[in-house]
Amino acid sequence: MIRSDRSLARALARVTDTALGPYQTAVIRIGFAVTWLLFLLREYPHRQDLYGPDGPWSWDMAQQLIAANHAFTALLWFDGRIWFEIGYVLSVVVSALLVLGWRTRTMSVLFMVCVLSLQNRSVFVGDGGDNVIHLMAIYLVFTRCGQVWSLDARRAARSRVTITGPTSPIEPTSTSSPAVPGSPGRREDRAGVVLWWVLALVLAAVTLVGRLDGGVLGGWLTLFWGLLAVHAVWWALGRRAPYGQPRIMLDVIANVVHNAALLVIMAEACLIYATAGWYKIQGTRWQDGTAVYYPLHLDSFSPWPALSDLLSSSGVLVLLVTYGTVLVQVAFPFTLFNRRVKNVLLAVMMTEHAAIAVVLGLPFFSLAMIAADAVFLPTSFLKRLGGWAARARGALLSRVPRRVPGPRRAEEHTPEEAEQSHVGFTA
Amino acid sequence: MDAYDEGSSARPVPGAPECAGGLEDGAPRSAETGVVIRSAETGVVIRSGIVGSGPDERDGIPGDGSGAVPARGTGIGALSLRYRIAVLLALAVVASAAGVHLGMVFLHVAPDNTVSKEYGTAIGEWVYPEFEQNWKLFAPNPLQQNIAVQVRADVRTPDGGADTTGWYDLSASDGAAIEGSLLPSHTRQNQLRRAWDFYTATHDAENRPNGLRGALSERYMLRIALLRLETETVPGIGKGVVVERVQLRSRTTNVPPPEWSDEKVSLTPSYRELPWWPVSDGDGPVGTAGKADAE
Repeated sequence: MIRSDRSLARALARVTDTALGPYQTAVIRIGFAVTWLLFLLREYPHRQDLYGPDGPWSWDMAQQLIAANHAFTALLWFDGRIWFEIGYVLSVVVSALLVLGWRTRTMSVLFMVCVLSLQNRSVFVGDGGDNVIHLMAIYLVFTRCGQVWSLDARRAARSRVTITGPTSPIEPTSTSSPAVPGSPGRREDRAGVVLWWVLALVLAAVTLVGRLDGGVLGGWLTLFWGLLAVHAVWWALGRRAPYGQPRIMLDVIANVVHNAALLVIMAEACLIYATAGWYKIQGTRWQDGTAVYYPLHLDSFSPWPALSDLLSSSGVLVLLVTYGTVLVQVAFPFTLFNRRVKNVLLAVMMTEHAAIAVVLGLPFFSLAMIAADAVFLPTSFLKRLGGWAARARGALLSRVPRRVPGPRRAEEHTPEEAEQSHVGFTA
Repeated sequence: MDAYDEGSSARPVPGAPECAGGLEDGAPRSAETGVVIRSAETGVVIRSGIVGSGPDERDGIPGDGSGAVPARGTGIGALSLRYRIAVLLALAVVASAAGVHLGMVFLHVAPDNTVSKEYGTAIGEWVYPEFEQNWKLFAPNPLQQNIAVQVRADVRTPDGGADTTGWYDLSASDGAAIEGSLLPSHTRQNQLRRAWDFYTATHDAENRPNGLRGALSERYMLRIALLRLETETVPGIGKGVVVERVQLRSRTTNVPPPEWSDEKVSLTPSYRELPWWPVSDGDGPVGTAGKADAE
């Protein structure tokens, strides 16, 4: 009895005192934001065709459908090309900022707004990859996904150094502690305040014009105004009483929400695999071991016909891949109980998605799925990955000064320069 | 470590000298000097930890960022009963929301069953529109047919004559664009394919639409076809040629069975022809607007 009480207390402390999986949530934040960013850049030439007011799925057609299903899209708030262009460019900027982790929570909200706006605007051009990003963009809002690998984390670390540094004087009212994430630094957070006001004004304008569906619980107005209010309270408490009880309580609740969202994200990934696997088992083609042959011969999914032919030339190989796919997808959720098996399966699935990216011509779907898989990666591996990335960035930055002389010159001398930097000499 | 830590709980010495030299002997440790380390060689004392501000010390109050932090701490342990109850309430709400959400999504993706039939409306209201999902990826069976969408048009030629173009294969044009591409565009991979799925899902075999969605899908198909006729090189369509009406058809061909299989399927394509659709002014702007802007 006492033991179960203790383990309950420990579990309670675990989900309230910390936002779990800091590296996992950071890697999926970067993963989904990079995927969407690359997608937006790739489709930039086709943006009008896919989401523009005069595209085949025109503005008024989208409006008729949205009036019936009440999906969220800011692109229908106003008509015209300019509003659309602003929205598209803003989506690119917001995605990039979310990758970098600048004002991560705010960017995650704006990221959700942008993703939903574009996808719901033209729901008939999306595929499974869009669907994954759509869901995860919503879930990410509720996570503290900028605890590591973000500009926010760097700023927090710097403000800690400033405060705890041996020579700097501090004002008692604005101290920060490493233990309270998100506490204000020694310096006034001007950018954050400005951002808050800008967004509050935009939201007020949109509310006044009546473009947002209301609804008290579950309504968009409630969500957005609620988020703004919580941010304001969090900020005010951080200034007045950073170690006061209300602020600690908010911090604890933020952890609870984060941990619940992380659980939902993991469960969602499991649902994806479980659904994909269990439905396949019922199909005759997955039973007779030929299923994988068919997508390879659909015109929409065979960018490399010769490669597709090669891969499907052996019946045994197709059978193995067919059965293997089903096996892995069905098994994956259960392997979460065994760390080692889970990691092996994770590697297999990521490899399969990487192959699908090229063979079936589904790069963004695959990238989104790999990002979703990444939530299950072990912390030790993610830290090593972070170390490699930091070293690669360091190496890259150290080369930059050499290339500064001007883009034209650099272009003219690219092969030479590349060789030089490879050898490690400067001319 | 212990030897140094004892100082952290001691009351600060009012007006204690700030400089390192003053600590040299006896090393009085005040609250603000978390740790005092003396280098053996130089005798220089390095103070680390959090330094309190001067005025606080003189008042005998430890600086706010000082050793007081660990004592106050964070997390549920640092909260009074009232706030703990509030946290537990929040925990209950968040946990229920997450649980209900996962349950709803599970029932949404699961096959029709006793529970989902009973609570279909509630599940739908929770899941639609933002949590809609379908993960039957190539399942239960992968598509085993290539469905090509083709278009032809009745046109008025520049000299005032009437003409009908031959069938132009829109899907083949998509396929050609996808071939050899590492990054196929949604305009080539999804737009036409999914528009056709939308059309067939919202029409019966006699091409009668099922309400709003059916009507929208017709217009969508028409506008895609017009855009393609405008932007691609289509025999019979060119400068001065006016498209008056278009007709679409689908051409469905079975994927030939694998070489190593003894299965036999018919490789003769089957067609589904849609009625002719007149082109009204409202349908035109697709490509034309873009071109007018460019010029």
